[in-house]
Amino acid sequence: MKKYLTAYSIALQETLQRRWTLLMDRVGGFAVVLSLYSFWNVLLGDKATFLGYTRPEMLTYVLIINVLRSFVFTGRGWLLVGEISSGRVSSYLVRPLRYEGYALALDLAQKTVHVGSAFLEIGLLVLIVRGGVFVPRDPAAWALFALAAAMASLIFFFLEFAVSTLAFWTSESGGPLFCFELFLQFAAGAFFPLDVLPEGLRRLLSATPFPYMVYFPARVLLQKIPPQEAVRMLAGESAWLAAAAAVAAAAWNRGLLSYAAEGG
Amino acid sequence: MRKCLVTAALTADALTKDYRSPIKEPGLMGGLRGLFDRRYKDTRAVDAVSFSIQEGELVGFLGANGAGKTTTLKMLAGLLTPTSGTARALGHVPWRREAAFQRRLSLVMGQRTQLWWELPAYETFRLNKDIYGLSEQEFRASLDELVDMLDLGAHLSVPVKKLSLGERMRAELAAALLHRPSLLLLDEPTIGLDVIMQKKVREFVRGYNKRTGAAILLTSHNMTDVVELCRRVIVIERGRLLYDGALDALVARYADHKILRARFSGPFDAAGLAALGTVMSAEEGRAALQVPRERVAASAAALLRDFPVADLDVEEVDIDDIVRRLFGGA
Repeated sequence: MKKYLTAYSIALQETLQRRWTLLMDRVGGFAVVLSLYSFWNVLLGDKATFLGYTRPEMLTYVLIINVLRSFVFTGRGWLLVGEISSGRVSSYLVRPLRYEGYALALDLAQKTVHVGSAFLEIGLLVLIVRGGVFVPRDPAAWALFALAAAMASLIFFFLEFAVSTLAFWTSESGGPLFCFELFLQFAAGAFFPLDVLPEGLRRLLSATPFPYMVYFPARVLLQKIPPQEAVRMLAGESAWLAAAAAVAAAAWNRGLLSYAAEGG
Repeated sequence: MRKCLVTAALTADALTKDYRSPIKEPGLMGGLRGLFDRRYKDTRAVDAVSFSIQEGELVGFLGANGAGKTTTLKMLAGLLTPTSGTARALGHVPWRREAAFQRRLSLVMGQRTQLWWELPAYETFRLNKDIYGLSEQEFRASLDELVDMLDLGAHLSVPVKKLSLGERMRAELAAALLHRPSLLLLDEPTIGLDVIMQKKVREFVRGYNKRTGAAILLTSHNMTDVVELCRRVIVIERGRLLYDGALDALVARYADHKILRARFSGPFDAAGLAALGTVMSAEEGRAALQVPRERVAASAAALLRDFPVADLDVEEVDIDDIVRRLFGGA
């Protein structure tokens, strides 16, 4: 376990060392959130509610998106694709180390920095828009949100990990990874609450793990889901987490059998 | 009676590896055709290679580019699963990647780095300390020794990206040897280094082998590495084992000629030299001849008798030339 904590600490140092990359990442993310807020502001107009969301709830949803984007969607998929394709992953494979655990430690380091920045940006956004924010008073809502978000982050990690392992078989795994990430953000509710989608599509998506990544944790915090229902859904989320972890492990192990260790 | 037990650190038995790669036909039309009808080519990179290396041995692994050296090394390190055949390294099947094996193994590839680019090398050393489960005491002792031998003291706190290639290679070696591996696979450890740095790395590898008794398998295109470090060499070509034995015996087997170098005290008949051997050069009062071994004495006598020779040297063929001939001019 200690090796993974050390990897986390080193990765944290390196993320902080690349301060301009970090700053540009955050500016880009902040621009997306500001655009989303402006978009929803126009849609709300003079209406008190829209699709069941009050103005403070919608602002809060947008803010939660900012946090969850930083916490859930900051993965190492592209790095893994590069490491497998170029053979750089070899240096981990010859050491007594579980690569999934190592990658997770590095991922958590990146998330730590990004979530810290996201909270600063939330403060800035609240100041800019001077709007009311929905703050749940029930500690259970916060606890359920934290749990749902933590599992969402792990589901994303394992699914992205599994898709990235396509690099073991093809040098063109960047395309599927790009499509996966784009579709995921749409299907997770990272652009808008899934309530805006037609009923049929919503049902279809509810049979996938994607809504658990943003839509579900956000609605938990907004207290749009009764506690008992939330607990039931958390059980569903944990089942998806177990399935995603199993798929990632199987893909990794199969991939290693095909690994060509190219590049010198 | 004392008995000295020497056991095999590494054995490869009919190790074979096939690769499948797509064929890209030339031109735009070829590219379009490949979009719908892709063809593949199977290549045998390593073909039934067998050898064994004892504990404490330092063996050179030679071959032209694409001969299969690195692929073999990657199988022995557990990175690649062979198509057929088997291997045992330190008592383990390498591609099972058991932690007990990996704790005693190190693979250093000259063109690869395990160092964290933005951070000082010391941070990678700390990480490897925990990866290999070293105690603080073991880590300190090993690091002090490596820093001293590799002259790394001034570079420990400098970000890796700011190090020169030579400094980075030495830091790479330190990172790879912190856990004192019993089996060391070195792939082109001196590539890109200047001659002074090459010498330092060679001295270090020799010292490490003597001090720890680790088995070392070394690939290098730099023949000085091989001549200075290895008494035994394994040669492969197009994936097949070509030679496995003493470097001296390799020279004896393939060096079927010697070089006569003469310095003349006055004008000489350059055309007449051709009767004594193959003229390699003849200008400015000097000449070099390649002469079959059985004719060396006769040719040297004729040179001294028929030409105004001031000085004459009889030299063995350079190992570089032998290997170049072995690989068909590679």
